[in-house]
Amino acid sequence: MPIAKDVPWYKDAIIYQAHVRTFYDSNGDGIGDFQGLDQKLDYLAELGINAIWLMPFFPSPLRDDGYDIADYNSVHSSYGTLEDFKKFLASAHDRHIKVIIEMVLNHTSDQHPWFQQSRSSRENSHRDWYVWSDTDTRYHEARIIFLDTEMSNWAWDPVSKSYYWHRFFSHQPDLNYDNPAVRDEMWNVMTFWLKLGVDGFRLDAVPYLVEREGTNCENLPETHAVLKELRRKLDEQFPGKMLLAEANQWPADLRPYFADGDEFHMAFHFPLMPRMFMGVKLEDRKPITEILQQTPEIPPSCQWCLFLRNHDELTLEMVTDLERDYMNDTYAQEKTMRLNRGIRRRLAPLLDNDRRRVELMNGMLMSLPGTPIIYYGDEIGMGDNINLGDRNGVRTPMQWSGGWNAGFSAADPEKLYAPLIQDPVYGYPAVNVFSQRRTEHSLLNWMGRLMAVRKTTAVFGSGSIEFLYPANHRILAYVRQLGNETILVVNNLSNAAQAVELDLRRHKGNILIEMFGKNVFPRVGELPYLLTLGPYQFYWFRLRRI
Amino acid sequence: MWEMIVSELTQAMQELARGFAHLLPRIIVVVIMAFVGWVVAYLLKVFLRSILRLIKFDTLSENAGASQLLTKAALPSATDLLCRFVFWVAWLGFILLGVRVLGIAGLEEQIAKFFLFLPRLFVALLILFLGLLGATFLSRAVLLAAVNANFPSPRLLSVSIRSIVIIFVLSMAFEEVGVAEETMLVAFGIAFGATMLGLAIAFGTGGKDLARQFLEKRLVRGTSKDEGKEDDLSPL
Amino acid sequence: MTEASLAEESFLTDDLLRQLINVGEVDILVGVPTHNDAKTIGPIVETIQAGILGFFPRARAAIINVDGGSRDGTRELIVGAGIDDAKSTSKVRTLRTLHSISTQYATTPARGTALRTILAAAELLRAKACAVVSPESTQITTEWLTSLLRPAYIEDFDLVLPTYRRHRFDGILLSNLLYPMTRALYGLRIREPYALDFAFSGRLGSQFLAENVWHDEAAQAGSETQFTLTAIAGGYRICQSFLGSKDQIERRSVDLVPAMRQTVGALFASLEPKVSLWSTTNGSLPISTTGPEQEFTLEPLRVNRKRLRDMFLTGVTELESVFQSILSPSTLAELQRIARLEETGFCYSAELWVKTVYEFAAAYHKSVISRDHIIQAMAPLFRGRAFTFLTENRTASAANVEDDIEALCLEFERMKPYLREIWNGRE
Repeated sequence: MPIAKDVPWYKDAIIYQAHVRTFYDSNGDGIGDFQGLDQKLDYLAELGINAIWLMPFFPSPLRDDGYDIADYNSVHSSYGTLEDFKKFLASAHDRHIKVIIEMVLNHTSDQHPWFQQSRSSRENSHRDWYVWSDTDTRYHEARIIFLDTEMSNWAWDPVSKSYYWHRFFSHQPDLNYDNPAVRDEMWNVMTFWLKLGVDGFRLDAVPYLVEREGTNCENLPETHAVLKELRRKLDEQFPGKMLLAEANQWPADLRPYFADGDEFHMAFHFPLMPRMFMGVKLEDRKPITEILQQTPEIPPSCQWCLFLRNHDELTLEMVTDLERDYMNDTYAQEKTMRLNRGIRRRLAPLLDNDRRRVELMNGMLMSLPGTPIIYYGDEIGMGDNINLGDRNGVRTPMQWSGGWNAGFSAADPEKLYAPLIQDPVYGYPAVNVFSQRRTEHSLLNWMGRLMAVRKTTAVFGSGSIEFLYPANHRILAYVRQLGNETILVVNNLSNAAQAVELDLRRHKGNILIEMFGKNVFPRVGELPYLLTLGPYQFYWFRLRRI
Repeated sequence: MWEMIVSELTQAMQELARGFAHLLPRIIVVVIMAFVGWVVAYLLKVFLRSILRLIKFDTLSENAGASQLLTKAALPSATDLLCRFVFWVAWLGFILLGVRVLGIAGLEEQIAKFFLFLPRLFVALLILFLGLLGATFLSRAVLLAAVNANFPSPRLLSVSIRSIVIIFVLSMAFEEVGVAEETMLVAFGIAFGATMLGLAIAFGTGGKDLARQFLEKRLVRGTSKDEGKEDDLSPL
Repeated sequence: MTEASLAEESFLTDDLLRQLINVGEVDILVGVPTHNDAKTIGPIVETIQAGILGFFPRARAAIINVDGGSRDGTRELIVGAGIDDAKSTSKVRTLRTLHSISTQYATTPARGTALRTILAAAELLRAKACAVVSPESTQITTEWLTSLLRPAYIEDFDLVLPTYRRHRFDGILLSNLLYPMTRALYGLRIREPYALDFAFSGRLGSQFLAENVWHDEAAQAGSETQFTLTAIAGGYRICQSFLGSKDQIERRSVDLVPAMRQTVGALFASLEPKVSLWSTTNGSLPISTTGPEQEFTLEPLRVNRKRLRDMFLTGVTELESVFQSILSPSTLAELQRIARLEETGFCYSAELWVKTVYEFAAAYHKSVISRDHIIQAMAPLFRGRAFTFLTENRTASAANVEDDIEALCLEFERMKPYLREIWNGRE
């Protein structure tokens, strides 16, 4: 069934997250670029995704992997030119793939011309573009986010002989959103990219835009006002474009960012992700259902973004100490796998390269309420290299083939921006796109089929969810509904075969049609519906009344 | 006349001799049967003795309290008694079978009646034996329960129960062998009825407090636990 | 093998099976046998849950209630205490679902069947460790759970028996018969061979479930004692764990004779099949114990010693004919002699008591009279012994009481050859 036309595109999207640097190198310098990415768009279209989210690619000293921006209106030279980007954008749109880019609103690199001007003198026109102070005692209730590296949210600038405010690294001074000029200029930046044709922005670090004395300087009403203003302008001048909030908060605390449907369109559901991993390890659906029970209703035009992994560590901030210890002990036995309050491993290694578990997790990702995001490489089960330091272990070159540099680049292997994964299990000779394309039942082809089935209905993206609570706690079962369409999803979280009786009396008389094989299952009657599932197996059933 | 006497005498002698000659082989047969019967009966006795020894019949009988009765009556042990009984019954049986050959009128009927009587005798003895077993068990059970429940006069209770059961069993045994059936039935009925009535009156009037306590303990749960408890000791 | 026998007998109801399917494999199972315990069971189950969540937060655990026909809502209380995602009102934050299931095994309570149901559930759920908690244990604390389960779940013990803080006069049957005799016969110093709160490993549970005790009603009644003896005979690892105060509040008057049936009867019944074990054991060894082996409290206790002696005297007088079948003439004569003594001079010595017990055991083995009658006959004699124990320790300190019990134990051990002699001896 085709997707309804009046549903916003982002509610039915399947987003692919990638960094242009990691994807494909077209000019042999060892670094991925836009021309390369352009060349691989067919692969993405064939896979079945319909939106791509690009990590930061603006000019930057790269001291924070591109999140320290030195120029908002250009492309980093390593990745190509603005023209290359425009060409890529056009190609993506030709293939009906939306493009979402990063927009770091909160801060810039200290190498940005704005900061250079601001610090040069107190009288400079850009002075108030940043938050300056003669003392470092203001806003003392604000917490320090990068505890490992920063001692304070204030840094001393020897040039202007005063302190400047930074919530992240000291080389990332915060912009001053109390200054209308800043707000206008950031809107101009966004306009620049919107006019080029990008379809949406992932707004990084949004809770910290505005500071006020006597508060923790997070999620302030003034911050929301700034964001709402941005949204208003967006809707006015660029309807159909999307804003995605990056805010690592509890669902209830995130709710204000949706407001009444007049702030963000989407937000990441951070707390759900570790609980999916927990549920599979515990073989108990409780962590998953409980977090979703606590998730508030959001306006109909808004959407949660779901993901399994991303470019950062698997964050364990939004869990209890008991849960964190459990996750560390079961998923990150070696201490080197742990970073800050998270685990820096890819999806397949986390799941012990167990194909069944990988399928199950992706099945849940695609069937729980929200827009799913696939991290590049997870569709073929790429591995990681924790020895690369920081989070670089999950940002290795894409593995296209078993040949030279995994088909990523023609450069000498030593020139690559990061070494390839080479071990016998996850190394590029074993795990690559080329081999998996040739294998009918490879993970890659399975992912393609999964997405194809998901796209036959709008229920997954836009439908309601009702959990069934069968007595067998190893089974996670829920009913998704949109209009007349009803889909039953049953997941076995355990590594052993299970029997489960589901109370489907509300759907009595419906015939179950399994969505992958399209075979008919028995009709729902008065008695509990008995199903048996193999280890980590899941079912998607369409309920039909004929 | 002398010749007549001699002739009659000779005839009589001849008849006697004929009769003797007719009877003698039969008597010999009887003797042979008796001898064979003795052998068979003896073998049976020995066989039975070994079986009874194997199943410890004496011990069983001791438990039944039958041994004490036998000792009091200066009778041999239960095993011996049974073996001897079987021996005599078997031998007598053989002898009687042999006697049939003699062809004495009326004897056959009596012999048949004797054989018909034997099973009933056996059943009566069995009833008696089992009854004694039951009486002993019941009386001991009552004795122990009464002692442990601190009832007054436990032995009286025990003996009463034993007596009642024995009387009952005796009546049944007598009825089985058909000895003074009616008398036994009536006598038992009177004795039993009277005893029961007496007990009921005694229990009802003299022991009504005890009865109340007993019923309360058994049927009413959750009443104050201190009632009837003498102390706070718990054995476990 | 066990699955086959379960299928044949199928004493597990369909409803219980369905619940077990839903629970799935567990690491820890806690069994709670009940009968009309609605007044006390709520806090007990809460404590059990808190203990599991506090000490074994990651373990897959379940609570199973086996009920003997309650009509006061006991079962509903327990089932309602389960922690899962369907109950969004649950205040407790847990890593996992903590199932709380219930089954009615009979319409009247039967200890043996209750234990058997728990064992079957433990086997089907492949529980690594299982604890049984009595609904009378209102003094239970969360530490009980770790004291009982930790040795079985983590330290690889097969049977974990409790030790308690008791009143020095509490449990005389245990201290004067069960403990010393088990110790003398089987060589292990187990203070509470009959326990209502204990834990065991899945291995031992399966072993006991497969044993042939379930077809005999008498044996079923003494299944707790049988369980301990199976562990001893099978060479399983046994330990003791101090729990705390033994419940004193609900002093249900445990009738002596039923108590003796469950304990002494089971102990005597075990002698025959295990004769090769106990007849070759000499002396005794301590077993691994966490915490004190025993603690005694000395507060005043209402005790009717006179009644004990009176019942002893009645027993010796009225049961003479019974004793003649059981005891040796010398023992019986000695008992009759002490029965004639004045109260102040009355003393049922340790030696005489041991002789009495052993002769009873031998008589039980030979079934000189009905075995149940033998046990009943022993009750008045036990009362006499209890009287002496109470008298001798009336003003004793805890240490003195312990010494007294130890002396009795040594007497049991010293006279063990006598048991061997009369066991094989006279016809």
